[in-house]
Amino acid sequence: MKFGKKLGGRVLFPVALGVAASVTGMALFSQGAAAATTPGSSNSSSTNSVTYGGTSGAGKAPITYLKLDPSTIALGKTLFVENCSSCHGDTAAGTSRAPNLQGLGAATIDFWISTGRMPLADPTVQATEKPSRFTRAQELAIDAYVSSLAPGGPAIPQVNLGAASLSAGQGLFSTNCAACHTITGVGDALAGGVYAPSLYPATTTQIAEAVRTGPGNMPRFGTGNLSTQQVADIVKYVKYLQHPNNAGGIGLGHVGPVTEGFVGILIGLGSLMIAGYWIGGRAR
Amino acid sequence: MSYKPIDFLDERLGTAKFTRKSLNKIFPDHWSFMLGEIAMYSFFILLGTGVFLTLFFVPSSAPTVYHGSYAPLDGHVMSQAYASTLNLSFNVRAGLVMRQMHHWAANVFVAAIVVHLLRVFFTGAFRKPREINWLVGSLLLMLAILEGFLGYSLPDDLISGTGIRIAYSITLSVPVVGSYLASFLFGGQFPGDKIIPRFYTIHILLIPAIMAGLLGAHLAIMWHQKHTQYKGRGRTEKNVVGIAFWPAYAMQAGGFFFLTASVIAALGGLVQINPIWMYGPYIPYKVSYAVQPDWYMGWLDGALRLFPSWEIVGFGHMIPTIFFPAVLLPGITFGLLMAWPWIERRFTKDSQSHNLLENPRDNPWRTSIGVGVMAFYMVLFFASSTDVLANTFNLTLNFVLWAFRILVFVIPPIAAFVAYQLAKEARSVPLAGTPRKAMVIFRSPGGEYTTEESEPRSELVLKHSVFHGEEPLPLPEEARIHGQEVQTPVLEEERFVFSAPSAVAVVSEEIGERPSGGSGVYRIPRGAPGAGGGLFSPRGPRPASDGEDSEDEE
Repeated sequence: MKFGKKLGGRVLFPVALGVAASVTGMALFSQGAAAATTPGSSNSSSTNSVTYGGTSGAGKAPITYLKLDPSTIALGKTLFVENCSSCHGDTAAGTSRAPNLQGLGAATIDFWISTGRMPLADPTVQATEKPSRFTRAQELAIDAYVSSLAPGGPAIPQVNLGAASLSAGQGLFSTNCAACHTITGVGDALAGGVYAPSLYPATTTQIAEAVRTGPGNMPRFGTGNLSTQQVADIVKYVKYLQHPNNAGGIGLGHVGPVTEGFVGILIGLGSLMIAGYWIGGRAR
Repeated sequence: MSYKPIDFLDERLGTAKFTRKSLNKIFPDHWSFMLGEIAMYSFFILLGTGVFLTLFFVPSSAPTVYHGSYAPLDGHVMSQAYASTLNLSFNVRAGLVMRQMHHWAANVFVAAIVVHLLRVFFTGAFRKPREINWLVGSLLLMLAILEGFLGYSLPDDLISGTGIRIAYSITLSVPVVGSYLASFLFGGQFPGDKIIPRFYTIHILLIPAIMAGLLGAHLAIMWHQKHTQYKGRGRTEKNVVGIAFWPAYAMQAGGFFFLTASVIAALGGLVQINPIWMYGPYIPYKVSYAVQPDWYMGWLDGALRLFPSWEIVGFGHMIPTIFFPAVLLPGITFGLLMAWPWIERRFTKDSQSHNLLENPRDNPWRTSIGVGVMAFYMVLFFASSTDVLANTFNLTLNFVLWAFRILVFVIPPIAAFVAYQLAKEARSVPLAGTPRKAMVIFRSPGGEYTTEESEPRSELVLKHSVFHGEEPLPLPEEARIHGQEVQTPVLEEERFVFSAPSAVAVVSEEIGERPSGGSGVYRIPRGAPGAGGGLFSPRGPRPASDGEDSEDEE
């Protein structure tokens, strides 16, 4: 029939395609919903028992401290002189360009070199995270050398996540950390060219070191502010934030409505405008 | 099939005449007229998903200890609103996808309203006699933004709670009455335990009801006044050329509804939005950095960020800084928006009615003003993400802030100037806007090809299928309904040559002279040939009046 043929060409096709797309969309989202609501799914199970790094056993101390090997001090001195002494001086006593490192403790030294922030390319801007220049053994040797020069400061913490509480960590993180690092830990720019870095690349040891030593503009949280247990709880929650429960589909960088708005306008409205352009008339 | 129920209604209410008239209603067919439809369909989806959410959401600030399936918040004290949103997201089947669809639909809804408004503005569709619908549409935009903010606030998470705190401060900043207003709205000091239930009532009852009423009025006025159309052959201020509501337009619109639903469903199922479980419950002493509102509040947030911290003292009272960007700016914005048809008329001195739209290039002044104003709000919109931009591009926050403070004054005049020049330039192009002629290729039986320049497509469409005339169409004769011979073979051929002028009848409808309805309305008496399918019988291109019809039958 003539009418049917003509109608089928221009009008019924969009209808059929729309229905088909709706059904496909429903099929897709019902899967997503099932993943989100089933307690046994991979997302939920990983949040229930976080065992990053293979530590096990509640009841152990939440944080233990690494004992550095004195036999590595000589190697550490060599590395320090090669890489650090041009600014910090041969005995880490500081120069006009860089501060005195003596007595700061192994945790401070370890944080700065293991996150790649030291050695520093440009001392006028905030040190950025980059791949470490050293192997882990070399880093520990430098830590051993600098901490052998003067006593004091925290030792390198090793966090036992099995003894830490995720939900206590959420409360402590939102109270103490979210004001700069944002509640999702993605980090953000602060006033005057300073920024709170993203927490996503940090290891458990680095997080605990940062809390205890307060690198850069970050406040130092001593034992009077946060107990050892609380530090471990925060570390556990930050490790969770690195792989959070991403129910609901593709996460949009966890920066909030900025990316959501762009997706809503460009993809949501944009695709519908293209659809309208396709269905609707164009000739004047 | 029995028509008894239809007859019953018709004999008592006269529905057949109205229905036939409505089904024959002519709509101009252009893709830019479908932007408002996206908004309307999003509104329907918002209503549907919203009703689902109300079944599980608990609008209460009463504290509760959470022991649900989201482990990182186990044992936390939180409002029942937040706990029920967590429960809705993790433990209600399809709850999360419904919540995400609701949120995505809200983002698409306001975006569609804005582009629809821009289309109406730049084509001059708001001119007499359509000023009332401009006002109704502006009100709908304001209500949609407010409604979106309220809905965003309801989960009572750390981010949205910060938004409510900002709203409280803005309310306080209103001179003289601010503290009273804030106290009435929040039932005392911030945060209190009243605001979530109050927002809930306003969000699910008051504003949706007003919006549904305004939407109905918006459509009814459009229906009554008839839709505007672009200039083109056969289109005048006195007619409407387009497709009939049934079946062509109804199918097109219905298909578009499904497409809108499918895009929103796909976003809701595949792309995460507002993962409130990662934000934690709102506790007034806690704050997260990097808090933005949803996009449609972005321009207000940007204005708040950019406005310098001036503290203006008058009559011994200080007017808080945020009053200017957060109360005065939106007041001026929506005031000017709603007054625009009258502002323009003051300058154009144009009191004529207009049913034909203007191309943006036809009116360089309006186009440039619109582009300039749009650029101003775009800069404010981007200014709401100063921190994200600074962090993403490794700039200092202060630099980004000052860049926006300068750009907000520099970009709009430049954009307006460029738009003005482009519009003027486009107008000077010879034959701008006239349809291009198609080249028709013929092959003779011997295999020889010849080419011939055709008439413009729109003219062909009109020639074969437009009904001009004031009288109602004559009752079609049997031969014309069933006989293939009157179905013009010419059109069949054109389908191949011109890739289908239109699968549906293009007919025109008169405007103006008649108080309502229009011509081209006819009713087939029962029993007459062609009445078989009743109202829902398929109709192809209508036979035109005799003079033009003869051409088709050659």
